[in-house]
Amino acid sequence: MKVTIDGIPVEVEPGTTILNAARQIGGDIVPPAMCYYSKLEGSGGKCRTCLVKVSKGSEKDPRPMPKLVASCRTTVMDGMEVQNITSPEVIEARKGVVEMLLINHPLDCPVCDQAGECHLQDLGFEHGAAKTRYEFDRRTFEKIDIGDKIQLHMTRCILCYRCVFTADQITNTRLHGILNRGDHSEISTYISKAIDNDFSGNVIDVCPVGALTDKTFRFKNRVWFTKPVDAHRDCDKCCGKTTLWYKGEDVIRVTGRKDVYGEVEEFICNTCRFDKKKTADWVIEGPRKISHKSVISSNHYEFTPLPVVKTNPVLMEANKEQFERDTRL
Amino acid sequence: MGRKLLLEHINVPGINTFDVYRSKGGYASVEKAIKTMSPEAIVEEVKKSGLRGRGGAGFPTGMKWSFLAKPEGVARYLVCNADESEPGTFKDRYLMTYIPHLLIEGMIVSSFALGANTSYIYVRGEMMPQIRILERAIAEAKAKGFLGKNILGSGYDLELYVQPGGGAYICGEETALLESLEGKRGNPRIKPPFPAIAGLYGCPTVVNNVESIAAVVPIINEGGDEYAKLGIGRSTGTKLISAGGNLKKPGVYEIDLGLPVEEFIYSDEYCGGIANGKRLKAVVAGGSSVPILPANLILKTINNEPRLMSYESLADGGFVTGTMMGSGGFIAYDEDACIVRNTWNFARFYHHESCGQCSPCREGTGWMEKVLHRLEYGHGKQSDMDLLVDISKKIEGNTICPLGDAAAWPVASAIRHFRDEFEWHVTNASEAVSRNYGLAHYADPLPKLEAVAG
Repeated sequence: MKVTIDGIPVEVEPGTTILNAARQIGGDIVPPAMCYYSKLEGSGGKCRTCLVKVSKGSEKDPRPMPKLVASCRTTVMDGMEVQNITSPEVIEARKGVVEMLLINHPLDCPVCDQAGECHLQDLGFEHGAAKTRYEFDRRTFEKIDIGDKIQLHMTRCILCYRCVFTADQITNTRLHGILNRGDHSEISTYISKAIDNDFSGNVIDVCPVGALTDKTFRFKNRVWFTKPVDAHRDCDKCCGKTTLWYKGEDVIRVTGRKDVYGEVEEFICNTCRFDKKKTADWVIEGPRKISHKSVISSNHYEFTPLPVVKTNPVLMEANKEQFERDTRL
Repeated sequence: MGRKLLLEHINVPGINTFDVYRSKGGYASVEKAIKTMSPEAIVEEVKKSGLRGRGGAGFPTGMKWSFLAKPEGVARYLVCNADESEPGTFKDRYLMTYIPHLLIEGMIVSSFALGANTSYIYVRGEMMPQIRILERAIAEAKAKGFLGKNILGSGYDLELYVQPGGGAYICGEETALLESLEGKRGNPRIKPPFPAIAGLYGCPTVVNNVESIAAVVPIINEGGDEYAKLGIGRSTGTKLISAGGNLKKPGVYEIDLGLPVEEFIYSDEYCGGIANGKRLKAVVAGGSSVPILPANLILKTINNEPRLMSYESLADGGFVTGTMMGSGGFIAYDEDACIVRNTWNFARFYHHESCGQCSPCREGTGWMEKVLHRLEYGHGKQSDMDLLVDISKKIEGNTICPLGDAAAWPVASAIRHFRDEFEWHVTNASEAVSRNYGLAHYADPLPKLEAVAG
């Protein structure tokens, strides 16, 4: 079926969500998503950052939808027309959501291990206001060790529920969930117990902010000073495909491989993540490709597209469609 | 005097027992429905009646029933939403307390119409007396053959259960209610799919308010057309109104929809006027989640026509000069009421009850409460009113469930209609702290009931 997002048509399979349809087009028209994670069933719809305006419901029923809808949980209809960044209403609502998300999230990016990889940082930069209007005390928490390798810093948590879904879906025991309600809600393990199973480290990868961090990496380096390299090993528990993050000759962190939307391609086990920190443990595939828009690309081997594209007539012609889209947006 | 359909026998001694209820014509609708009508005919009768959901949203009940998916071999459920916990609304617990068999009777007829063999009454956990009353009534009905296997020899089976909830306001939202009923944390589900397609345990489910289900009884007894003759326009039938606040005679009243608001407040048949001879300042017409209106706008529409107790008339003027019927929780405020304090109180409630799933509601409700708290306690700023309106706009319509709207509307409407009172709290901070009431200049014009009666 055909759906048009910000004036750009795309053919998608029935059952595709608006967000995934936008991802098929790519570029700036993809709504941001803090809680949706394509690998986790039932995720999405909570953070409200991906709200979009459906200006035409479908060919059969062209009426617009009365409210903004969460693009990550709304499936497309044939002939649907969606406005994302072309709708001032959406931009305003998103600005409001960012402001709400930042009410209790500290701006401690200079000391946060997630800085440079933080979805909220990107979201705040793209959609946030220059300053806050919130003048009250923020909620704060003591740091909690959930296991010997993972630290939970609830102060930074935006309650996206991704880690809860991860723990529920890729392990066979329910390890943690949400306590309390409203803005008193907090992620917690069952009576402060540890999360100790072979895949627990994945909660770190799915956390969009710096609430769940890798204790073997904390305060070791800024992410943009590290050199990411794709590598694999023969693992009997997981796919063994990872990204190694080097500081000089040393592997200081191992993570799953993340796509352009910050989602891991496959979940990895704790052995690969925490116990294999020597180059000899791995078969190196080569430098990881990082988007040129990411701060991690500074000092790195590859980044695309090159700025030179816009000065080269041949490359200009080859990328004509992309430029037209950029201009229109 | 309006006709009483639900509360006709409310004062009969022992009406809460099966035998007395039966002697007053109780369970006649079950006999009629099961013995003489098909499920489709019952749905059609409810459609004809024009009954609109009495829980707050006002969606046509018959239409809701007709949306129910009917796949072969899949169970269907009817769930009665008795999680009444909106501030100002107390009609359902009144009905359950004094005439529980009316609800049971409605549940049997409705379940038969929907093809449900298992139904639930989800009651707010704090209402233990009502839970016991309902359980006793169910046992009585079952002993008399109106529940259980082969009801009245028709071959139709129905098991009816009372399920206490955890006592969270959000569990009155239908999808959160279903989550809670399944034993999970009461968080609203993201719609679609709607419960009519995938509800309780993933099966087609209808969730109806207590009063809506009770209203099915007179609809079947007297026919949908007869029911539709009561009321006005698309607001048909009677409605239970729980009147509270500074009224001479607060209580639960059954009114014909279309009754003038002025008559409801001032006539002796209903609320009898404002207590202690004071003047009316404002009214929240449909429970705390609907916009508050000042006296002049609740009595007359912007076109100077009498405001009626009907879905359309109360909503006349949209949210600028109108409000909503909501759940029928009618709260009147006299001239001494402090609108700022009242708004803060409502905001405190919604902050406390937000489930915390989606960001605008989780964070926004708390933010509004804090701003209102400082306004009430003399630390407010002139910019706070604009800030509150902006926060409410950022919440409204952007949340998973209507709790966000319910939190935003009272704040936005209070500032719209009583902005000078909020400003007074800023400019007269010390006075605002020492006496917890605001300006008393909203009560004009004084209503003249004689004019209505004449």
